[in-house]
Amino acid sequence: MSAETPGVPVAEDLFEQGADGVGLIGTRCAGCGAHYFPVSLSCRNPVCDDKRTVRTTLGRTGTLYSWTVQHYRPPALYRADEWEPYAVGLVEVPEGLRVLAKLIGRDTDALEVGMPVRLVTSPLYTDADGRRVDTYAYEITGDGIGAGGGSGSPGPASSTDGPRA
Amino acid sequence: MTGVYVLGVAAHPWGKWPDKPQLQLAIEALTAAADDAGLPLRDLDGLVAASSRFEGGLGWGLHANEVLQAVSESGAQAINVGGGCAAGGIAIHTAASLIASGECEVVAALGAERMPKGFIPRPPGQPDDVTDTDYLRWVAIGATNPAYWAIEARRRMYDHGTTPETLALASVTMHEHAAANPLARYRKRITVEDVLASPRVADPLHLMEICAVSDGSAALILGSEAAARRRGGPLVRVAGSAVASGRFGDPAVRIPTVSMASDGDATHTSEVAGAVLRAQAAAGIGPKDVDVLEMADNSAWHVLAWPESFGFAEPGESDRLLQDGEYGIGGRLPINPSGGFLSFGEATTAQGVLQVCELAWQLRREAGERQVPGASVGQSAVLGLGANGASVVLTA
Ligand SMILES: [Zn+2]
Repeated sequence: MSAETPGVPVAEDLFEQGADGVGLIGTRCAGCGAHYFPVSLSCRNPVCDDKRTVRTTLGRTGTLYSWTVQHYRPPALYRADEWEPYAVGLVEVPEGLRVLAKLIGRDTDALEVGMPVRLVTSPLYTDADGRRVDTYAYEITGDGIGAGGGSGSPGPASSTDGPRA
Repeated sequence: MTGVYVLGVAAHPWGKWPDKPQLQLAIEALTAAADDAGLPLRDLDGLVAASSRFEGGLGWGLHANEVLQAVSESGAQAINVGGGCAAGGIAIHTAASLIASGECEVVAALGAERMPKGFIPRPPGQPDDVTDTDYLRWVAIGATNPAYWAIEARRRMYDHGTTPETLALASVTMHEHAAANPLARYRKRITVEDVLASPRVADPLHLMEICAVSDGSAALILGSEAAARRRGGPLVRVAGSAVASGRFGDPAVRIPTVSMASDGDATHTSEVAGAVLRAQAAAGIGPKDVDVLEMADNSAWHVLAWPESFGFAEPGESDRLLQDGEYGIGGRLPINPSGGFLSFGEATTAQGVLQVCELAWQLRREAGERQVPGASVGQSAVLGLGANGASVVLTA
């Protein structure tokens, strides 16, 4: 699903694409180590007095924390040539964040908490100059950890199913 | 410091009122609240307006000065406060502070709103770049507001085994309450089957499980103890009120952000939890003392999750409490006898004021068929776009 030739990012400074794949552009605080996405103007940590922020990339892989399927087309600010209900996921990434993103690579009714994902680009539309405009998305790369999903059996209430073993 | 009391309350019915300008909605609520207080508007020392971004106030949203210019040019102080949906609660807190400090004897808090149809769009005048997540969430993801609530709901199903039927029951309960409220927008009783048959908006949430944007207005007139005794009738006291913002590390999937902490230790929805705890501390009460809770149920998920986040129930306990009727009128903690956002309707900035009007009606025993038996302590909880929280405790 990820495009082979790089398109134009839907927003500047959103993600970058290199030999080692796609990374989200964010900020790391040199003082307390907190990560932010998108780039932040400062550090939000109230106990951090340093607040020197440096640009970084993050979120190349993660696990699916939760998701929804949007059944109504979003307002016009969301521009896409194709429309059908699509999944929006919340992905836990190794940098201490959960990231909101479109999900691709799996039927929307086959999603499960804990599925491993990797960051890719995904085409949105072709602009007036004929350029393909891409956004970032997470592609499902494996199976989930079962449980929950209305089965009535409580799963583990945790944030430990991320990759930070 | 003097005590602060509720002198008068009023609300315009929630609905769609295309023929009534926002200013007229505001004037009607304010005038009715003054009548309820038995005071002429010229007796107001101040008016605090909960400012909406959608309409009015020469571009600043509802403006206290605009209202006074229209209905009573008394020279009273005019104050405008922002904070998204929390603005109504912030307006009440501001009005209460003006009285508690002794600066004013009678102050009104006012909210009036006419909402755009459908999904709430992005406000004008923001930069089109990645530092504005309310730009980014639309162009990169197309994430609507219900998508944020749905992601929380889906995770709750995983964490606590919440079923679609229990989520639907939350909406059924709110509609049951609204059916007995003449001011509510949706007054039809519904069933779990009706909810599950309504269109899916953002899985697992259906149309009847998300709030409906509405028009409406509400006003609350507060005064000193001397003013309250002059009015007569049951004394309803603002025993506590508080405003709070979010804490670092909060895991809430917060509109319009696109990332949040996974490893923090802040309470979920810490801005509202913080306001709730501060208001309780100011009132010298704990969660078990609260007889009725008016809280912002933007979705069915909120009805289950919020009481747990704010200390009214244990994590995962809400499903059973709801099923057992404990969140209904006559239960252990009746939630939203007004009908809540889900069926009273949502008129953002006016909502925080309406919540406290409802508490006042409950504590005065004027709530008719939706009266919570024995209600003597009521608390409100409201969240505003970004990370604004506000809460008010009334006692009688
Ligand atoms: Zn820092």
